[in-house]
Amino acid sequence: MLGPRLEGRNGVALVPPTLEHFRLHPAWEVQPEASRFMGPRFGELTPEKQEKRFKDTADGQTQIQWTIAYAGEPVGFTGIFHIDWVRRDGETGLFIGRHDLYGRGIASEAVRLRTGFAWRELRLRRVHNWVALANRGSRRANEKVGYRRMGLLPRSYFRSGEWYDEWLGEAFANTFPTDDLTARLDVPQRGSGDESQHAGE
Amino acid sequence: MALGGTIRGKKTTLRLPVAADLARFNDWMADLRVRRAHPPWFEPAMPATWKERFAEIAKEPRRVLWSIESDGRLVGLAVGRVWDSGVGLEVRQLVIDPSEWRRGYGADAALALHRYAFDYLDLRRTDLVLHADNVAALRIAERLGYAEYARGRDVYYRDGAYVDQVQLVMDKETWQERWGATEREYASFAPEAFR
Repeated sequence: MLGPRLEGRNGVALVPPTLEHFRLHPAWEVQPEASRFMGPRFGELTPEKQEKRFKDTADGQTQIQWTIAYAGEPVGFTGIFHIDWVRRDGETGLFIGRHDLYGRGIASEAVRLRTGFAWRELRLRRVHNWVALANRGSRRANEKVGYRRMGLLPRSYFRSGEWYDEWLGEAFANTFPTDDLTARLDVPQRGSGDESQHAGE
Repeated sequence: MALGGTIRGKKTTLRLPVAADLARFNDWMADLRVRRAHPPWFEPAMPATWKERFAEIAKEPRRVLWSIESDGRLVGLAVGRVWDSGVGLEVRQLVIDPSEWRRGYGADAALALHRYAFDYLDLRRTDLVLHADNVAALRIAERLGYAEYARGRDVYYRDGAYVDQVQLVMDKETWQERWGATEREYASFAPEAFR
């Protein structure tokens, strides 16, 4: 599934991905700056494969994905994957492809929007993920919205002569910050006379 | 998923699965005793659906399916997934027919499968995920050399209650310390063989 538009703070929004967005992914994923804790920087990175990935993502009933937009430009992607609709559990992930924009809080805002959506709209009860322990920014982004450490896989990544551990986190609706959970989208109420206003949070 | 070849244990043999095994696989996936112990591998389905699944299985290069037999009887199945990096194996399923439980088949098949992973494939680690109340599987894992590295809270729901998830890992070094001297795929060649 492609996620709906979620307007965030500081110029960040989650928007439904397009094929043009998916075509940006390979160029992002092969950059050393962006892939330190990702894959091997090779793969079937062809336009045809991206078209198939886009179609599969749109058709998939156990995942929901967004493009992360910053100041109106696509800069990465995030989603909830392997959703088990019986257990109401899903695995979350996020990738910022534009490494020149690191440090601006884009990931934190994207994680906040995604996690709030999981509780408010999907009615999930648990989300979980894996983050390199050394990737402090990503870990903090998750912790801020309620992810808590459930374990640590030692020596999970080998990069530049060193082993890195992996942090495993999980979050539940009741660990989401209260102010974020109560700050709902300002959708006009029937009969309130302000049906034309669809302001964000 | 690829179809796995022969791995011999003492009581069990992991062998190439065949279409004739599918009806039993379906029975196990429909058995609440199996489903209480493991997340199901696939949901129960019509024979035609299982045939389609089986045809797909052979195409996936990193997932491997074995049937497990003992004395010529089909008693279980195992599914492993080689990590994308190629250095590890996740044991996804190791299902024993409930009517064959408490005969040591699970422990024997698990030992043989891990010997194959470390002593034949030369993998660096193996990992698996269990229900926290699957005492029998946890005991087998602990004996093999697995160590818990994560515990997910209230991950599974069945029988009207949630149960935690335990994630475990074993390194090749642990395997070698514990089993390397006794569990080998092949006996060493005599020195004359190299002359």
